[in-house]
Amino acid sequence: MGSSGEELRDRIIELLPRLRRFARALARNAQDADDLVQITAERALARAEQLRPDHSVASWLFGILRNAWIDEGRSRRRRESLLEPQDIAERVGDPAAGTDPELLCLQDALARLPEEQRLAVALVLVEGFSYKEAAAIMSVPVGTLTSRLARGREALQSMLSETSGVPS
Amino acid sequence: MTFPDEVLMAYADDELDARTRAAVEAAMASDPEIAHRIAQHKALRGRVHSAFNKVLGEPVPARILTVVRGEPAGPRKDNVVPLRRRPARQWTWPQWTAIAASLIVGVIGGRLSLVRSRGTVPIALRGGQVMAAGALAAALSDRLAADQPADDPVRIGVSFRSKSGEYCRTFTVRQPAALGGLACHAADGWQVGVLARAESAGVEPGAYRQAASPMPPAVIAAVSGQIAGEPLDAQAEAAARGRHWQP
Repeated sequence: MGSSGEELRDRIIELLPRLRRFARALARNAQDADDLVQITAERALARAEQLRPDHSVASWLFGILRNAWIDEGRSRRRRESLLEPQDIAERVGDPAAGTDPELLCLQDALARLPEEQRLAVALVLVEGFSYKEAAAIMSVPVGTLTSRLARGREALQSMLSETSGVPS
Repeated sequence: MTFPDEVLMAYADDELDARTRAAVEAAMASDPEIAHRIAQHKALRGRVHSAFNKVLGEPVPARILTVVRGEPAGPRKDNVVPLRRRPARQWTWPQWTAIAASLIVGVIGGRLSLVRSRGTVPIALRGGQVMAAGALAAALSDRLAADQPADDPVRIGVSFRSKSGEYCRTFTVRQPAALGGLACHAADGWQVGVLARAESAGVEPGAYRQAASPMPPAVIAAVSGQIAGEPLDAQAEAAARGRHWQP
């Protein structure tokens, strides 16, 4: 890998904290989230030639992470249902996951959203992407993104207002 | 003037063009309901954003940096045992699923590394179950808590009958990391139901009584959840061993 390869590595390193944050909004478990980030880094480096000069590295990486998450969807769903009753025990043993109740509360709420709504919320509310950028990452028209975002938000709001925090 | 909720949401997200924005602002001024709805959208956005922002302050795990930097996965320089961090993604999700189903607590990455490092940690994957192997299996089957070699890396803790009837025993392992776990006797050996990392200094070589070992809270919690009655006393433990742990 030449100097452009080095640039890409630097850029990925810069973006790792954001990729981890995004992954944490998709996967509740911090280990799973970091697995997604690691897969993203591996795939990005293996496919560096697919990154066009006019393309935003951030959008490209978030797109790879999103695809990795979708790819894992089936087995993830199976696993999440298996782990469901054990969540509390798992968190007892995982200080990284259990330190912030507010974060856990939001992760739980996000986890109950359908995948596409969860993605829209994670990209726009968690990551602060514009609708246009988020739509491009999800490979959908902006109108589709906004309707998923609106539905996701509404569901989230009603889940969270049950436990207070957001005025209703 | 009324607006669909998506427009109010887009206003809160600063996604409207100047003209629509001005129209929404005019409506906000005269209609408290619109203003309230926008405030809700903004509050939710702010709440979600600030909760997840905390992740940005966390250190990035070394295993990810290693991948990005293209460094060979050599021995770790820090003194963190490679328990919670898989050196690379070697297990597929379905395998993961099978294992996750049989285990209760965290350190999943560690468990998998442990399972993979054959010979070093005495557990093995059989038929989707994590089973005790080697020295651990031998200690679980043969050893009495009151009669253990002082410096053995495997140490047996309490033994008890579980609510479903089988015999279970807690144990600690000192190498390659301080771990505590719970294994229950099954038809084909000892099934490890919980394995978690023991905090701090690890198991002292001279630690004799179970209380002296840093049993992870997850193991203690699992014991309290599964135990039927009291732990076995020395006599009951010896009797159970005599029956080869058959209920």
